[in-house]
Amino acid sequence: MKRSPLLLLPLSWLAVTLAGCPEYFEPAKIGSYALKENTPYSSVPSRIYVANESSNDVSVIDASTFQPVGSIPALNHSTHDLAVSRDGRRLYATNLASGRVSVIDTVQKETIASIYTGDRCHVVALSNDDSQLWVANIGENTISIVDTTTFRILGTIPVSKGPTGLTFSHDGRFAFVSAQGDKTVGVIDTTTHQLVKTIPVGANPHFLVVGRDGHVWGVNTGENDIYVLDPESHEKVGAFAVGDKPQQIAFAYRGTQGPLAYVTVGSQNKVVALGGDPKNLKVVEEIPVGEGPNGIWSNPEGTRLFVAHDKGNEIRVIDTGTGQTLATVPVGRKPIRVVVSR
Amino acid sequence: MKIRKIGLVFIFGIHTVLATTSVALADNQPIGLATNAIGTLVIVRTDGVQQRLQGMGKVALFEGDVLKTDGSSQALIEFQEGIQVALNENTSFKLLSRWEKDKPTTRIIRMKEGEVWAKTTGGPKRFEVETPVATAAVRETEFNLKVQDDGQSILTVIEGVVQFGTPFGTCPIKTETISYGVRGKKCTKPAATDAKAAKSWTEAVRSIAK
Repeated sequence: MKRSPLLLLPLSWLAVTLAGCPEYFEPAKIGSYALKENTPYSSVPSRIYVANESSNDVSVIDASTFQPVGSIPALNHSTHDLAVSRDGRRLYATNLASGRVSVIDTVQKETIASIYTGDRCHVVALSNDDSQLWVANIGENTISIVDTTTFRILGTIPVSKGPTGLTFSHDGRFAFVSAQGDKTVGVIDTTTHQLVKTIPVGANPHFLVVGRDGHVWGVNTGENDIYVLDPESHEKVGAFAVGDKPQQIAFAYRGTQGPLAYVTVGSQNKVVALGGDPKNLKVVEEIPVGEGPNGIWSNPEGTRLFVAHDKGNEIRVIDTGTGQTLATVPVGRKPIRVVVSR
Repeated sequence: MKIRKIGLVFIFGIHTVLATTSVALADNQPIGLATNAIGTLVIVRTDGVQQRLQGMGKVALFEGDVLKTDGSSQALIEFQEGIQVALNENTSFKLLSRWEKDKPTTRIIRMKEGEVWAKTTGGPKRFEVETPVATAAVRETEFNLKVQDDGQSILTVIEGVVQFGTPFGTCPIKTETISYGVRGKKCTKPAATDAKAAKSWTEAVRSIAK
């Protein structure tokens, strides 16, 4: 009789439990969406958060009215990347020059902790259950793992040279890390913290994001193209040249079309919308924007894009149905990353 | 009404400046002293400048300093909060801290390699030792932590309780027990051990400093 591998899971879990300390046990939660105990349920309004690298702060914008709400000092230097918790109550900001992550209470709109992760900490990603923060440190070629409850560094994973992009698979089993130094994306098994695969992707890979269908999308700023990785085989299945200095990617709909991948192209002041099969991508639309488009994020419905302009120091809100700019909101100096809470 | 508004803005501004200053000051205020070295303790400042301690002394330590001993050296340092740390041979770590609003600063040492002994005195402290695979967090305790070449970390608690955490779980390790932290796993079940033997290497560097 052939046993289903699923039947072995409870047994293996039990074995792991018995092998460890009995008094206190926290199984790996990556991939779980279970709410923590005592999670407050009061609503937090949807906000747009923008990391401003040269003013060392985070701009806050109302996601419904597009009106500025204020700015939050990061209390560190060179605020670069952002990750927002699923409940919208915590925001984590990397600060390149400080090597520290700022923890921001979004309700009080203030920085409540500053955690040293490593030299030139660059990008940050939350595990799927928000219990861990993974931070890539370019200066040390490591990923720091931060407990989001105690703010302790729980471990460090060595990675390839120049980690500049970081994202998790939909099921949380794998973390993908782009490495500029060896032109690859590394795949880390989150249950063992071992590097299980290295995928050549091209020159100067940078930003990484997981798409709505689970494909992992990356940007090669050195080759002016984007690439797509298959979530199962972890193979590069597609690539497309979008123009000089592609920066970041977000996913949204254009009427009935989509989800499309919207790519900011820094030197051409435009956002390129790509559609079709990842193996055969096509340009669906090009949207002219302001100076130096960099960060991009969509609303949960996929009808609006929020584009940060690192030269124009502004956010543009774009209606994906028409490609028109609905609002232009001034932010801090050199906005790099934009995220939106739900 | 207008005056009240201006007052609020002023108070908010002062608060923001003070908060910013409190974090920024961390880099240029001494956080402790290197008090003794058998052989040589090398202190590498954040700008790359090196300072050495040989024998007894009082060398100021700052946030971001990297401390190193070679194969024939041991050293002793003290944080201003009342935490003693001894470095065994071939040990290297960085002095860090974590700032949290309305809480005392947490002193952190990030070990790359080697072995340290640490003891807190004068009440509860906020002190953590990070290794490549685990973190030991203490309040009032005495412990020994060794990091092997592969990052595996061996914690021996001499007195008190240490929260020994990896990304896969946290265990309270109590007096006279030992636990191992390995990459990809939670810490092992604590086992009884001879804790005094674990700190025997510190006798020389601590006795000279007394």
